[in-house]
Amino acid sequence: MDRNKISKWLKGPAKMGHKYSLSAIYFCTGCGIIEVPPVITARWDAERFGVIPVASPRQANLFLITGYVSLKTLKAIIRTYEQMPDPKYVVGFGSCPINGGMYWDSYNTIKHLDKYIPVDGWIAGCMPRPEAIFIGVTHLWTLIDKDMAKGYVKYREKYESYRKNQEQILGKLEWKPLYPIRRRK
Amino acid sequence: MNKELLTEILATFKKTQGYIEKDNRLFIETKKEIVPALLKYFKDKSFDRLAMVSCVDRINENKLEIIYILTSFCLDNPLNIILKIKISRNEPELDTVIPIFENAEPYEREIHELFGVDFIGHPRLTPLFLEREYEIPPFRKDFDMRKYSEELFDSVPFVGDEK
Repeated sequence: MDRNKISKWLKGPAKMGHKYSLSAIYFCTGCGIIEVPPVITARWDAERFGVIPVASPRQANLFLITGYVSLKTLKAIIRTYEQMPDPKYVVGFGSCPINGGMYWDSYNTIKHLDKYIPVDGWIAGCMPRPEAIFIGVTHLWTLIDKDMAKGYVKYREKYESYRKNQEQILGKLEWKPLYPIRRRK
Repeated sequence: MNKELLTEILATFKKTQGYIEKDNRLFIETKKEIVPALLKYFKDKSFDRLAMVSCVDRINENKLEIIYILTSFCLDNPLNIILKIKISRNEPELDTVIPIFENAEPYEREIHELFGVDFIGHPRLTPLFLEREYEIPPFRKDFDMRKYSEELFDSVPFVGDEK
């Protein structure tokens, strides 16, 4: 092991742990999920980067939104996101979660994902290549190192606004708020 | 064999027109009262698979066109039978075909949701895909998709930007 890196380990061992063991929840929205099977299998082995798909949101800390998000999927995304333990990172994959993509005038597809849950990074393209996922992951490492991937903190602080946006688009939500909502007088 | 079938259909059912295209497509245009009897007739002729039920909005004629596509699992050279009927756009009502072909249920639910056609006798016409309620069913041509999405989605503020 490189001796110069020891000080880095000692400075933030938890951060190093978060960086190199990103467990991505295997959640399929839209067409982008077709890029994920080659990424996690032998061709582009994602475990070299510490990215491994897991089945349960309770074990995951990376959430790839792969493709367009319809209203019904948004409901499932919010529920899944709220079940994930901190720290958690969200990456929007493809152009549809960024601004609607080719569904920009659709009646049932949301346009900006970061109005409803906080997003730490975006991968642009339609479709992005599997290599783009790795570029996204290495960028996420840099963000974690520099304390910039703080979407889950923002979600806790601005939960009222997020919940208000979610209820504006989905109607009344049938689950309880994740964090207490302060009532303004 | 196909032409014989066509002449037999036209002789049996009144108010029916039909023609053959590309040797394997049989188009039949008819009235909505005859549809169950016609489907039953085809089922007895071993056209046992309802491939699709679809709908087209003919806004210029003020009609909705319902399309049934039938084919066969057991015939050697199965013909595709395409059955078209036109119903009123203002009061779209139609008898369900679930007693004849059970797999019509999700198609009819979908058409009810997206085009607003009422299928009389359908056991559950509940929402299938959509989360919200729409004044005009969204697949009709007079539904202004762009205006609707601008009003609904652009009114949601970015978090941190409000006030």
